[in-house]
Amino acid sequence: MTTEGSPIDERDEPGQLDELVDAAGDAMAGDPLGEQLRRIAATVDPVPDHLLQLARESFTWRSIDAELAELAFDSVVDSERAVQVRGGGEPRLLTFAAGELTVEVEIIRVGSGCELVGQLVPPRPAAITVRHRSGTAEVTADDLGRFLVGEVATGPMSLRLRSTGGAAVVTDWVSI
Amino acid sequence: MESNGVGDVVLAARDGDDGAWRRLVERFSGLVWSVARGYRLGDADAGDVFQTTWLRLAENLNRLENPERVGAWLATTARREALRVVRTDARRVPFGDPAGMEHLLIDPDTPERIFLDLEQVSLDTDRDKAMWAAFEGLSGRCRELLRVLMATPPPSYVEVAGALNLPIGSIGPTRRRCLDRLRLMLSDRGITGGERYS
Repeated sequence: MTTEGSPIDERDEPGQLDELVDAAGDAMAGDPLGEQLRRIAATVDPVPDHLLQLARESFTWRSIDAELAELAFDSVVDSERAVQVRGGGEPRLLTFAAGELTVEVEIIRVGSGCELVGQLVPPRPAAITVRHRSGTAEVTADDLGRFLVGEVATGPMSLRLRSTGGAAVVTDWVSI
Repeated sequence: MESNGVGDVVLAARDGDDGAWRRLVERFSGLVWSVARGYRLGDADAGDVFQTTWLRLAENLNRLENPERVGAWLATTARREALRVVRTDARRVPFGDPAGMEHLLIDPDTPERIFLDLEQVSLDTDRDKAMWAAFEGLSGRCRELLRVLMATPPPSYVEVAGALNLPIGSIGPTRRRCLDRLRLMLSDRGITGGERYS
């Protein structure tokens, strides 16, 4: 059974307990106890309506003509010693990469929100739109590629950058 | 929605079809939510994971290598985002388990608390409540797996594999072991209705 192109290919190791399955089939395989649990879950913990609406609206956030800068590093999952990040303590560092451009963002919890301290590498000025739960904020990266923006709501966050003579770049959405 | 059909819906969304996007939301929202809840995230954190995952898909539509596998992509993305959120939440404790079996504190807004507060919810009762309470009493990995399996519509093996970072071939045996464990707990508590089908 091949799982070509699946995001879990590398971890699909055969073992003693493994069996051949129809990968696209129902993984609960119709077990009556499982079906009962599914019914209960649908009653007590369905997807909240407001979240469904937000998911539908996500389509409008789509950037048609921008290059995507993928998340290349996140200090809370990629550092050797994974530690909890508390408000007011060690800041969290995210790095996004699109071709030659790297966007580094330090996230500092301030009160109930965040302050972002950013750096474009190689350094260049840019107009930046911070997209977050409470809306958008505009900030400018200076000639050294540095920018600072406060009062960014926690939750989903993405940056859209436009530098002169370059294509627009958007960073992958991340929960901050 | 068969897997071929899913691929076509993704391609239509890629072309800007808002209706196709809404069909994806309908088809896979249950799965994404169940991944967040499987990792025992409370309302706010689960909401962040859910919203971030869908926003990510919107920006990555053109980059999906296998549109027909978008369900597994969403489940994997939700898992990674859930682990990210777990580690940044101030209520969590530090961990270092390479197997990824983080010790999670129960958020006060977990479904168990919600369940027990909803006395007016019209469930078939005491038996359903007891069944859910027994499920909540399962150990971490079984609880995670079963919560994802409980998604509506039912997830496929590929999607469950992405949600839990498990080899596809181990899902069936692990599911059976976890359900057997639950059956044992139910019978210990004198709750009927958990019989295995022949």
